[in-house]
Amino acid sequence: MVPYIELRNINKRFSDVNANDHVDLSVNMGEIHALLGENGAGKSTLMNILYGLDYKDEGEIFVQGQFSDIRTPSDAIALGIGMIHQDFMLIPPFTVTENVVVGLDEEGSSPLLDLDKAARSIKALSEQHGLDVDPHARVEHLSVGEEQRVEILKLLFRNAKLLILDEPTAVLTPQEAEGLFEVLRSLADNDHTIIFITHKLHEVMNISDRVTVMRDGKAIDTLKTESTNPRELAMKMVGREVVFHIDKNLRKSGECVLQIENLHVDDDTGYHKVQGVSLDVHSGEILGIAGVDGNGQSELAQALMNLRPIKEGNIIVNDVDVTNISSSLHRSAGMAYVPADRRKVGSVSELSVALNTILGNINHYTTAGNLIIQDLQVREHAEELVERFDVRPPNLTLDAGKLSGGNLQKVVLGREIMLEPSLLIVEQPSRGLDVGATEYVRRQLLAERDRGTAIFLISAELEEILALSDRIAIIYEGEIMGVINSDEAVVEAIGLMMGGTRFKDLPSKGDDE
Amino acid sequence: MSKASFLERRQAPKESISVTIFITALAIILALLFGSLLFLPFGVDPFNAYSTMVELGFGTLRGIGYTLIKATPLIFVGLGTIFAWRSGFFYLGFEGTILIGAAAAVWIALLTDPEGAIGPLPRLLFLLLVFLVSFVAGGIWAGIVGVMRGKFGGNEVILSLMMNFVALFLVNYLVSGPLRAPGDLPQTPRIPQATILDFIIPGTRAHSGILLALFAAIVVWFVLRKTTIGYKQIVAGLSPRAAWYGGINVGNRVILAAFIGGGLGAMAGMVEVLGVHFRLLDGLGEGTGFVGIVAALLGKLHSIGVVIASILYAGMEVGADVMQRRSGVPSSVIFVIQSLIVLFILASDILRYYRINLSKLFGNDRGKKTLEVDSST
Repeated sequence: MVPYIELRNINKRFSDVNANDHVDLSVNMGEIHALLGENGAGKSTLMNILYGLDYKDEGEIFVQGQFSDIRTPSDAIALGIGMIHQDFMLIPPFTVTENVVVGLDEEGSSPLLDLDKAARSIKALSEQHGLDVDPHARVEHLSVGEEQRVEILKLLFRNAKLLILDEPTAVLTPQEAEGLFEVLRSLADNDHTIIFITHKLHEVMNISDRVTVMRDGKAIDTLKTESTNPRELAMKMVGREVVFHIDKNLRKSGECVLQIENLHVDDDTGYHKVQGVSLDVHSGEILGIAGVDGNGQSELAQALMNLRPIKEGNIIVNDVDVTNISSSLHRSAGMAYVPADRRKVGSVSELSVALNTILGNINHYTTAGNLIIQDLQVREHAEELVERFDVRPPNLTLDAGKLSGGNLQKVVLGREIMLEPSLLIVEQPSRGLDVGATEYVRRQLLAERDRGTAIFLISAELEEILALSDRIAIIYEGEIMGVINSDEAVVEAIGLMMGGTRFKDLPSKGDDE
Repeated sequence: MSKASFLERRQAPKESISVTIFITALAIILALLFGSLLFLPFGVDPFNAYSTMVELGFGTLRGIGYTLIKATPLIFVGLGTIFAWRSGFFYLGFEGTILIGAAAAVWIALLTDPEGAIGPLPRLLFLLLVFLVSFVAGGIWAGIVGVMRGKFGGNEVILSLMMNFVALFLVNYLVSGPLRAPGDLPQTPRIPQATILDFIIPGTRAHSGILLALFAAIVVWFVLRKTTIGYKQIVAGLSPRAAWYGGINVGNRVILAAFIGGGLGAMAGMVEVLGVHFRLLDGLGEGTGFVGIVAALLGKLHSIGVVIASILYAGMEVGADVMQRRSGVPSSVIFVIQSLIVLFILASDILRYYRINLSKLFGNDRGKKTLEVDSST
């Protein structure tokens, strides 16, 4: 049997990253094929190439055995390939029907829109696949799950035979996700083919017929779902050899610096993102929070700095309850924070490096009752930072946005370290950095730890967590699955917990720490 | 990559002072060239007209006096625009704050009439009082929009434009009702002689409002550049998320931006009634609230730039008025040219993205001469 889609030897480089490294993938007609991998493994790039959003450097694409040169999404749509991204592309004030037909331009059709006819066929499609969407409803009144079904309808209406879904459950509640799975099964039964991008093991086990695991831009293996298990998949997904690049001193942790008690936090859309987290961090210790992006880590970090309303729970730093202290006072309470987005949150791109080194701590460099900024003090502080953390170019008047990612991170991290905090919260410290900068940032964090700072490290890179942490807490959908000492850490076990298995439910070892 | 051509696209726009001056001058010259076509039906030599206009606006004492009078409210509105827009608050309600500030100033001035409720005040005390009341009135007027945006996420563009109409009709109501002077015209009584601003250049009607405007320009520059308040305003304006991360309350910053911006706008109204009209009347403002925003944009939202742009703009208008009286060329020609200048300057920004490849232009490849080298990101 000829596979419905065959990708041969796909290669794609972005500047110095090999996003797809000679990837082969073949997907059969009528199957649900999961594409499993960590963030940055190259899943989305591969699918963007298939959908014509990116163009491959090397390799070939065959659709039903035919060589196909897909350069734009319209090429892909003409071949019956459709893709649904994580961010939906719908026009809120339009009705479902209007959204579905928008951009359609069939040859030979009349220039007048026949919306009633379209609505009827949308209703028929919707009923056939159990999508349960009212063609006359306005999109702005729909839930996220319903919007997603409208996106599916859009593709079906354009006669898509292959549907690519990029992490479709990320925005769904568990119930909505189950509804989506039923729709996907119904579509597959009707000769539609589905590629399902995910990093959640249980979804792979639940929905897919076959699964291809990607890691570091390579397709590691393709397996029949019924003949594999979550442990094997986790091993293949995160199972690179973990190298401890940096020699760590033994931990000399002291008294408890941060204590989190039963913390509950919502995200901006009101989704319950942190659900009863209790953790503690001691001085001279790095607590790593492992987990796939978007499982509540950012909300947790923001809540610690009171940048986000806390629904329930307490945060105690150095025996002081800081739960309700204004965010502007957290830094004087001995807390510092390196956010995940260093360009848009951690710095102001259009301001000079010097002015960025005082963000969050302006009052240290003022006279006249905190009113007038002392330019000289600011410059001395900035000079010291630039020299101590080796920021290049060492130009204080340069706009911060013109620094490279690594040098900007040195400014942000340096600024926070120079506050001499007792608690340092660090989120994705090496994301997007090259090897040298990554190494530098990690060494700084270890040096801070050795100085006795308590470090709360959030990273989606398991390898980073393992390299730096003294203890590791694994978070999944806002809950802590377990806390383990890093010297007892088993990659497989962490992978399973990142996918939603609780520590006590882990296979083989059932004893608590 | 594509072959290098005569025009090469830059990765990042070129932003040096010399380039800014060059591009701006180029835009003005082009606008004047296009505008010269409008003079042809009148049989007037456009270049002669331009030089006369410049001479009338800037070359005579009388002209300079009028230019300063016209520039003063523009500078205040421009400064209000700087403070509000730099804080990320895109306020367009200066027409309204001019009227509110003017109404407040006239009200206070009338109260100090010998027969008024307060009676005559010492000069300095009166000036302080009228300044304070007018500023606060404009500040609160704009502050309403600030609160709606800062606390409830309203859209300041729509709200402030609507508030302009409210202010317009409010003044309309005041001059035809409660504050109306006896007589046919809808206007208030003339304010007492003791309350009008001093004339500062003998032989002209230029009043001391310009000094206040220049002082305000220095204060705005100082506050935005040298104080923690300015730092917080600018961070909140450039990146609300970075401000939030840095412990800056963006909502409160927006409200402060509205208050200060509105207060500065009110100053424009105050100097107009205390220095030019001496009473509150319909039709005050006449677009100053928008022209001032244009002046601020032309001045790249810098205090000095606003002062220069306002004076140039005012001088052209003065020159155009006199020219209309002398040669019959309608002053609307100059308004067209002013608009052309604005359009050309705004459009010229795209030139920052290109570099001229001289070697291609002259067809020789030795030595890759380019006008500038761009900084790599």
